Amino acid sequence: MIKFMRNKLVRIHQIDKDHLEIHGMLADDIYELELDVVFKKSTLEIVSIEGRWNRWTTPECPRAIPFLQEAVGLRMGKDFSEKVKKMVGRKSCRHYANLLLECCHAAREAVLHVIGEKVETAQHGSSPAEEKPEKPSKAVEVPKEEIRTTPTKAKQRFSGCIIDLHVHTTPASPCSSAPIDGLIAEAKRIGLHAFCLTDHDYTWSKADVEALMEQYNYLLLRGNEVTTDQGHMLVFGLEKKIDRLIRLEELREEVNRVKGFIIVAHPFRGFLTFGVGQLGLTPDKAKERALFKRVDAIEVLNGKVTKKENAFAREVAQSLGMPTTGGSDAHEVDEIGQFATRFESLIRDEKDLLEALHDGAFSPVAYKEERGIK
Amino acid sequence: MPDILIFSRIRSTFVEHVEENRLRAVCQLNDTLTEATVEVLVKIPELEIVDAKAGIVRAVSRPKEDETQLAKKVIGIRIGPGMKKIIRGLIGEGDETKQLAFMIEECCNAVILSFTKDVLLQRPEDKRGKRDFYRNMVKENIRLYNRCAAFAPGSPLVEGIEPPT
Repeated sequence: MIKFMRNKLVRIHQIDKDHLEIHGMLADDIYELELDVVFKKSTLEIVSIEGRWNRWTTPECPRAIPFLQEAVGLRMGKDFSEKVKKMVGRKSCRHYANLLLECCHAAREAVLHVIGEKVETAQHGSSPAEEKPEKPSKAVEVPKEEIRTTPTKAKQRFSGCIIDLHVHTTPASPCSSAPIDGLIAEAKRIGLHAFCLTDHDYTWSKADVEALMEQYNYLLLRGNEVTTDQGHMLVFGLEKKIDRLIRLEELREEVNRVKGFIIVAHPFRGFLTFGVGQLGLTPDKAKERALFKRVDAIEVLNGKVTKKENAFAREVAQSLGMPTTGGSDAHEVDEIGQFATRFESLIRDEKDLLEALHDGAFSPVAYKEERGIK
Repeated sequence: MPDILIFSRIRSTFVEHVEENRLRAVCQLNDTLTEATVEVLVKIPELEIVDAKAGIVRAVSRPKEDETQLAKKVIGIRIGPGMKKIIRGLIGEGDETKQLAFMIEECCNAVILSFTKDVLLQRPEDKRGKRDFYRNMVKENIRLYNRCAAFAPGSPLVEGIEPPT
């Protein structure tokens, strides 16, 4: 028996020389919605948009309709899908975003292949497959900072230290809104020993990070949150640029070559409306995933997942007898340090960090909660 | 302009239980330019893709590789957050493969929605019960907060709920 079905219908006709009228309908077991979009053919631009709910879930779903206007004026091209997902999917409703993308992609195909017109902006690709935003080639320009609250290397007398191993900066991670200068100031304020720059598929250059450390007198460590076929991996010690998806087994080989370290990030990050428990997944079943044989540690405190998901990851790690870490996964300045990792040895640089990771003398910590930091 | 359609599309995606621990998701596309089918077999509760196949009958541009061989690249991945980036990374982001990648994504979305449907079937139908049901959903998973208009600040469904830090 069919457990779920979704049908989408798109029809397009030309209303004048430069405009198309698109009607889209999405009907599935849960939702039914419609869109009427006017699309400018020469620029692949959304000129107007109207939405209608026929069936929905929460009593507040109708609030989504006015936010559809956020998409008016958007042109297809670089990052179009991401913009629709952010502007319509997050502010209005993701099912409207899905239908709008279906309508616009169909319109683009009609313009390019049925009408056969050349469109300047359409040549740059549009989703479902789009180019990634460009990554910065060097460190973000930040104002010189005078506050020096963290001891310099020479003055440090730690018997251990707490480091946030998982932090994202803007613009290196397109999903982050946290500038590096703000993160450093906040990390100093809350007393974090250091944090790791783990932007998505991006490794900061050594020179840029050294310049920032000098400027702010604060320890920064480099990592990379690499996207693999088995999810996100926090990688340390690997200089090689990996800026696109890689299979975990290949990544493992690369990391082995440089004696680096891999931590699987948020391994049980789940779904919005149901948890892993509701699927009937048990730690015993979950630990059989092949990925755990290819990583060195498991992130069991992550600031972007639920308590249950973190607890589940911890149970799996315990069952496997694997080392565990914590990291905020900060995408906003005030998120840094929510979770972190306590190292028993002093970490002064990336070499120390790698050694400490390989020694296994570390543990996850709910840093802000433990210290009562707001 | 004549009131004649220049383009028409229907995309149908469904999910069915084929064995006790297997779901089969199928996405069928038929439009003015393309006719294609993608099928994905998913192991539950792990939500791991254990098989995939694809067939393209008509298309403006076809993948250079055999479409089923291409689809099989997603075997082993887990359906969940971040999967779109993984699917596109494995299948490719060129014009000739983007439709195939999107159809796999649609299959995966449908699998997730099939579980969402199970959750929604437990929802009370009275006004207050309904409201409490969704409020609890947000409390249980704070990632829902401000995720869409219904759960945005100002909505009664999130009134009094602390936003995530």
